[in-house]
Amino acid sequence: MLGAQLALNAVALGAAYALVAIGFVLVLNATTAVNFAHGESVVAGGFAAVAMTAALAMLLPAGSAIPGIVLLPGVLVLTALLGLAIAALAYLPIRNRPPVSVFVTTIAFGIIVTNGLNAAFGAAPRAAPALLGTGTIDFLGVTASRQSLAIIATAALLIGALAFVLQRTQLGRQFRACAQDPEMARALGIRLTRITLLAFALGTAFAGAAGLLLAHQFFVTPSDGAGLILKAYIAVVIGGWGSLRGATIGAMLIAVFEVGVASVSSQPLAEGLLYVAVLLVLLVRPDGIFGEPQRLRA
Amino acid sequence: MSALPRILIVASALLATLTASAAAEPLRIPVLVPITGFLALEGTSQRNGAELALRGSGIAFDVDDTATSPEIAVNAFERALTSGRNREDVIAVVAPMLGTQMLALVPLADEFSVPMITVSGTARITELGSPNVFRFFPGDVVVKAAHARYAVEERGAKRPAVIFQTTAYGQSGRAELDRNLAALGRPAVFAEGLDVSVKDMLPVLSKVRDSGADALLLHLHSGPTALIVRQARAMGLDIPIIAGSAMHQPETAALLTPAELAGVCAESGASPISETDPATRAFADAYRAAFDREPDAFALGQYDGVQMLRAAIRAGANSAADIRAYLAARRYRGLAMTYASDGKGNMAHSAVILCYSGDSRVPAIVKRYENLTGIL
Repeated sequence: MLGAQLALNAVALGAAYALVAIGFVLVLNATTAVNFAHGESVVAGGFAAVAMTAALAMLLPAGSAIPGIVLLPGVLVLTALLGLAIAALAYLPIRNRPPVSVFVTTIAFGIIVTNGLNAAFGAAPRAAPALLGTGTIDFLGVTASRQSLAIIATAALLIGALAFVLQRTQLGRQFRACAQDPEMARALGIRLTRITLLAFALGTAFAGAAGLLLAHQFFVTPSDGAGLILKAYIAVVIGGWGSLRGATIGAMLIAVFEVGVASVSSQPLAEGLLYVAVLLVLLVRPDGIFGEPQRLRA
Repeated sequence: MSALPRILIVASALLATLTASAAAEPLRIPVLVPITGFLALEGTSQRNGAELALRGSGIAFDVDDTATSPEIAVNAFERALTSGRNREDVIAVVAPMLGTQMLALVPLADEFSVPMITVSGTARITELGSPNVFRFFPGDVVVKAAHARYAVEERGAKRPAVIFQTTAYGQSGRAELDRNLAALGRPAVFAEGLDVSVKDMLPVLSKVRDSGADALLLHLHSGPTALIVRQARAMGLDIPIIAGSAMHQPETAALLTPAELAGVCAESGASPISETDPATRAFADAYRAAFDREPDAFALGQYDGVQMLRAAIRAGANSAADIRAYLAARRYRGLAMTYASDGKGNMAHSAVILCYSGDSRVPAIVKRYENLTGIL
């Protein structure tokens, strides 16, 4: 039964990482920009939930439970606005410069977010409410927390919806056109700036949703962003630049190493083996498992 | 009157004014602490403790964030001592609790001949032969002795397991735990290090269970400590959990329900929210009023350190050399404990064990280990 329990934990953790990674991929797909403030956007989503909980607690009778699902729309809106700010301040003014400029501006934006959250909330770990309530469900000897199941369901829903939009709608085709050839897309009448802003808003809202989900299960601190962007980056490298499916698989693979491999070896060894796996993937398939042909991307 | 005498008179007056203003410069204590980065929670407590002790003292102080890298700490230190003011006014520095930063600052403190007071737990900072390091928090040599003794002698652990952080902080504590458990004849049956970013604790906890351990000793930062306790409860791991000092922090307890905390114990240098003596309660009340948060042992240790420094000034010390001599030779009764240097700058020699009852998030002190080094 331990194996089944570990598998469930790995899927739940991988689902949360996948939500982080696909927001990163969405921006990458639409703009070719590597948004290094994405990890801090996840953290901002967690703290948005913490702040909204505190605000609602003042309005509601003492002891009222506030489920995370009530907070989710607000978190999505707030983090979408954050995404617009990242686009307006850290990407659009320098979008015609070399990619390294965007690295620097988004890293700087991320540091500002981290320090702002630290000043506003303090450095202590905080917890957001569970999406649909706490407690566990026992099934065939496996104990699943309600939050783990909620993470898996929410990730599946959001990733499915995003895949549908990107592959089956005109908006999705516009996203991909802008990423593949911005000048041609502009010549064909696509409003490049609007698509860029939309991509940042959507991608960062996904990060916010991930932040809300992670902040209950694993807590959130202002300095968590660097670790999260590293995980998103690795997931995308393994899965392939620009591939939603690849990012999801990459995120799951990270979770398998963190939970599965760590359970039969040790956590430091599992982390080392994860990076060995990344190197092997890059040696065998330099564009990642589901990568598109290599282009001039960072 | 010719021009020259007039110039001389004006120059003399200016010189007298400058000398007077230099003499009027207050004594200064730069406060260099990590208030951003992974140690921000503990660093903020350190800053608050220092600030509370310095308020109204007439001693000038500026707070500078050292974040997490030694370079930033070195820059902050050099800036504090050379930024256009009279260097002689700096009688001491409140130095960061991050061990890697302290290791970089020790040579500078020796070069500038300025004593540093800190709450860093890293053992090595007082093993470098520097006369300028004064640690007002029990180091791992002290608290890990209490940690291991409580597990073995009070809780009857025969097969302890140890989970530690892979940071310098974690490895230093693990080494002392190993040494003490071995000395007690109860070496760890399982030990594993965790990176601070690890989210799912089930793998390591399942290995603890499989090892047949009868007690779990933790030496982790705040978030990972809470994650382990929560997940151990969820999986029904029914062995005593005796955590490191992170568990005594009110912010860590706030992440868990009282039911999850029930029976969990922790070592610490002190637990100001648990104490009942009027002086410590007054400190806790003042701390809450000033910073709108609960005080912890880091805040109290740094507060005591600065108060000892103020005692030195009251006793007539007015230079870095005077302060250093006072700290090195005198004994001071602080709120947490009595402090005295062991000749290396280790000032704190006592520890407490506290446990949560399950009724609230305020722990009770269940055991005091006084003078573990035999210095007092």
